[in-house]
Amino acid sequence: MAEYLALERKLMLKVVYYGPALSGKTTNLMQLHTLLQPQRKGELMVLETRDDRTLFFDVMPIGLRSASGLDLRLKLYTVPGQVQHDSTRKAVLSRADGVIFVADSQPAQQDNNANAFDNLADNLQKLGMDIERLPVVVQFNKRDLPGAVDEDELQARWSATPWTPLSMASALKGVGVVESFRQLLRRLYPRLDAEFHLTKREGLQEEDFIRYLSSVDGVANA
Amino acid sequence: MVLRMRRFDDDPDINDLIDREQQMRLVGLLHALCGEFFSLHSKPQAGAEAVEFNLETIAWLSCSTAPNRQAPAARLLEFILFYVAKYRLAASLHHDTTEASFAELQRQHAALQESEGRYKELSEQLQLRVDEQIKVIEDAQKQLYESARLRAIGQLAAGVAHEINNPIGFIASNLRVAGEYLEELGAKLPSDQATAVVQDDFRALLMESLSGAQRIADIVVDLKTFANIDQEDFLPCDLNQVIASTCHLVEAEFNHDLVIEQRLEPLPQLAGYPAKISQALYNILDNAARAIVPGGRVRITTRVGEDGCSEVLVEDNGCGIAVEDMERLFDPFFTTRPVGTGTGLGLSVARDIIKAHRGEIFVHSKLGVGSRVTLRFLSQ
Repeated sequence: MAEYLALERKLMLKVVYYGPALSGKTTNLMQLHTLLQPQRKGELMVLETRDDRTLFFDVMPIGLRSASGLDLRLKLYTVPGQVQHDSTRKAVLSRADGVIFVADSQPAQQDNNANAFDNLADNLQKLGMDIERLPVVVQFNKRDLPGAVDEDELQARWSATPWTPLSMASALKGVGVVESFRQLLRRLYPRLDAEFHLTKREGLQEEDFIRYLSSVDGVANA
Repeated sequence: MVLRMRRFDDDPDINDLIDREQQMRLVGLLHALCGEFFSLHSKPQAGAEAVEFNLETIAWLSCSTAPNRQAPAARLLEFILFYVAKYRLAASLHHDTTEASFAELQRQHAALQESEGRYKELSEQLQLRVDEQIKVIEDAQKQLYESARLRAIGQLAAGVAHEINNPIGFIASNLRVAGEYLEELGAKLPSDQATAVVQDDFRALLMESLSGAQRIADIVVDLKTFANIDQEDFLPCDLNQVIASTCHLVEAEFNHDLVIEQRLEPLPQLAGYPAKISQALYNILDNAARAIVPGGRVRITTRVGEDGCSEVLVEDNGCGIAVEDMERLFDPFFTTRPVGTGTGLGLSVARDIIKAHRGEIFVHSKLGVGSRVTLRFLSQ
């Protein structure tokens, strides 16, 4: 849950990349680290890995400082996708403000996608959150692979859910990564605005919020 | 000193990452490296260089003698702290998840123990239920056996009655003829005192035997009525007559210690099986007779009801029926008597018979005061 420190005028947010093993969560974060030029950007911290598989999590802080002086921080986390790391996944997911679910587009991975999504809903419930009320973006990654499930089919399959439209990406090639992130920011902003009155009190409009946090060519100070 | 962050994803401050002693060593190493004195502060310091971690200023480094060294030294510290933080984050997360897993395991363990307890309790209850059911089945078997035995005895009694009927007929007839012969012989015998005494005695013997034979014949008639050996279809029957013979049978059963008071008013004829009706009445009267103490009263009354139906009332001043037993009175095999003395079939058989005769049966009872069974047969 977003945390606001009134004394320091600091608003701290948490976005989690979730999804089945090997779907490209860390790749998403690494690409964001390379592509994004937000107002403020910290180091990408990749914790322990084994054979390139995430054991704990990765984290990258980004931030903006509004004209009103609000110090807004957003930490982007990834979780380990492998089934056995569920307690780690749950710990990282706790107090998340938004989730980007990275699914694998390969036909053989559709069951894993579904299981991971159920696991996300389960863990959110255990943590006292409701997946229907949390800003969530579903990204289908690995669009560049031959044989990837047809986009129209995926969009149709998810059309009756709150998570439509889906976001399409090829994280390895840096395609769709920033767009997925922006889609999440767009779903996140109304929640934050309702709770912290970003427009009224801080003069921080949705477009600025998105631009400052997800610019790819640098932004002037707010 | 335990270095652990409050939550793994809380922003750490410098003291969370390395303790004071290690901070002093770091500052000492910087001194050894470039010959200048550095100081590290956890609060803002004028002119000091901010040391950042994750966009957060976590300390201030100052070098008053050579301020130009502050920035590179701070970057060096940041570089080192980055890896320290990595370790701390991983360790804290590991600690958190291990604790959470342990708590979850304990919860599951407690849940398992609870469910094991429940199953144990359930299995004990099941065993009790099984034992109860076995007892019920055993009782029912005993009672079935008992009723089969009684039926066999009834058939035997009927058979015996049939076989006795003929001989007792000619015995009675012969005794009467013998009496007539005695009178004829008497005229030809000497008329002395001794002969007269023998003759009187002989007459008395014959009369006594004849009355004995008559009693045997009466019992046979009752038995035949009771056992239903010669009735096949509904016949017009006289309810009062059936009652009289059934009373006789019950009284005989109780060795004539019991006298059933009969208040019988004339009733219209009833179409039915007299033997069956007799059996129903027998069962009801038998219950009444068993309910009373010696000297108690059993009374049977017949009358024509207001709507023209024939009513039979059997009343006793015996022990009465407990309220909780009332609703089970007509249940087959329900009995308050020990196994072997009652079949639990008496009233249910009686009810079935009364129903077959388009009749009704009611029981009123008060514990310790007595019972009244009312039969009503619809007028034809």
